[in-house]
Amino acid sequence: MPRSLFDKVWDAHVVEELPGGNALVFMDLVVAHEITTPPGAITIEKEFGDRLYAPQRIVAMIDHVAPAKDSATALQGQTVRNWAKRQGIPFHDIGDNGICHVIVPERGYIGPGMTACCGDSHTCTLGAFGAFALGIGTTAQAGAMLAGCLILQRPKVMRVEVTGTLQAGATAKDLALTVIATIGFRGGTGYVLEYTGSAIRALTMEQRMTLCNMAIEAGATTGMIAADATTAAYLAAIPNAPAYPVGLAADPDAPYAATVTIDGSAVRPVVSWGTNPGECSPIDGVVPLDAPPESLAYMDLQPGQRLTSIAVDQAFIGSCTNARISDLRAAAEIFRGRKVTVPTIVTPGSQTVRRQAEREGLHDIFQDAGALWTHSSCGPCLGMSMGVLAPGMRCVSSSNRNFPGRMGDGGRVHLAAPVVVAASAILGRIASPTELPALELVLA
Amino acid sequence: MKIEGSVLPVRRANVDTDQIIPARYLTRIDSGGMGEHLFEGMPDGPQLLAQHPGASIVVAGENFGCGSSREHAAWALLGRGFKAVVAPSFARIFEENAYTNALVPVVVAPAIAEALLSARHVTIDVAAQTLRADDGEPIAFTLDPLRKQFVLGGGFLQFLNAKIPAIRAWEAAR
Ligand code: SF4
Repeated sequence: MPRSLFDKVWDAHVVEELPGGNALVFMDLVVAHEITTPPGAITIEKEFGDRLYAPQRIVAMIDHVAPAKDSATALQGQTVRNWAKRQGIPFHDIGDNGICHVIVPERGYIGPGMTACCGDSHTCTLGAFGAFALGIGTTAQAGAMLAGCLILQRPKVMRVEVTGTLQAGATAKDLALTVIATIGFRGGTGYVLEYTGSAIRALTMEQRMTLCNMAIEAGATTGMIAADATTAAYLAAIPNAPAYPVGLAADPDAPYAATVTIDGSAVRPVVSWGTNPGECSPIDGVVPLDAPPESLAYMDLQPGQRLTSIAVDQAFIGSCTNARISDLRAAAEIFRGRKVTVPTIVTPGSQTVRRQAEREGLHDIFQDAGALWTHSSCGPCLGMSMGVLAPGMRCVSSSNRNFPGRMGDGGRVHLAAPVVVAASAILGRIASPTELPALELVLA
Repeated sequence: MKIEGSVLPVRRANVDTDQIIPARYLTRIDSGGMGEHLFEGMPDGPQLLAQHPGASIVVAGENFGCGSSREHAAWALLGRGFKAVVAPSFARIFEENAYTNALVPVVVAPAIAEALLSARHVTIDVAAQTLRADDGEPIAFTLDPLRKQFVLGGGFLQFLNAKIPAIRAWEAAR
């Protein structure tokens, strides 16, 4: 029986079938951060004698609020810090930290064919490596730390084939948003998305991570991309990257519960106008005439309004979607020699990314443009520590969620690629990089 | 296990966990203290709660609990006295979190959810998997049979703990 990539990884990790279509699924890696891990770690300490299944297969870090913003978040960090130390869990403290979904690949914790989970919905990012990696709640994560397994219903598999190649100006973020708009904001619920096709094969690992990062925004359990030469080259450059089975991919005639085909050559730069990531349109277009009224009421927009007419109050480049070195390089090309006209925050995805950016002088470009260059954390993405929006404030952001209140109570978020965020920061409104005046004219 | 009470009608689809409990409240190392901030991220959420004091069953639109994996969403609902959420569909992680916390996730057809928005009193028989609104006929719903055990008797972590020898044996033979 031919099998999908997901089928192969799943089948290799099922310890036992359980009633009701559930299975006990072995986890090769559990990722832990300071917001969602402490209650589970404390439960295991109190009720199970602090016994973990395999501490060496856990990795912990402080990423969401780094450094702590108050005593409460300091206690969260200290709880994870002390727990990791006494358990011998690899730990990335502030100074050496990064957003979990950025540092896990970067530091060689994930490889093809592995399973991984974290109390964080964007764990699907790791599917870019041909792993089955998913977000879970605190209690399920505690179970994985205690017993090495999750209890899961076997998801269905949707093949998302992206043909052709992305054209100049279209980025992996635009593809990610286009996939969501195509299958629907909840169209992936109950599915793993298996991305295939020539446009996928042509993506770099960082672009694949951007794409898989947003599988959850279609409701999917996760996204997955088979490892290939691109994956191998990326992992070869990472010290301590896990050994992995070469050639782990879907069989050519594997059956899928659903198949969607997207013409990669037709993907255009998009920006969100609504209150979920599926509510997005090409940047040179308008707010759709049939847009849901409650979305437009929250966003204070009118049907038919040109997207590039929307003035913004803040710009943010960062998050587990778009804060890797290639994202920062692309944004820097837009900022170079220009000035921002709205408050702009640039937050690298990890301290490693930060230091690489500084070696390349990108930090000077951002700061010469008038942007704030920060240390690594989740930052403004979740409206929890820095860069929080006031009610009614509008932020164009390279992150992944534009839900009501996501970046601050009453705040409005427009999702876009880093280059669009940069262009918008310069023009003070949603803008495509193609709208920027040539640099010679600016300097003259 | 029977759940009885009045309804909080959430006439929205895609109520994500940021709306259920905003990130600014995720600063504790335990599951307490969330109830008082329930639905603070949802437009008009606090007003809705004020209009329905004592409600113990949320009725909502499609895709309830999407977005962030935060179990705090289930804790906030429980902390505010809610025992069940009825919706046409749930996001996967929220549904799992609901089960492990014995917040009963009841999936019903969209038309039934719509009708329940204006019900006064709802009774949910978890063991029998039926729901009754006011004087209406019982409506059957399905629950994951394994997770239903955890709702009725708890013991999610104990169940996994008891599996450890089998898991170790599986791993050794891997
Ligand atoms: S960057 Fe944003 S989406 Fe990513 S893990 Fe952090 S808070 Fe979550």
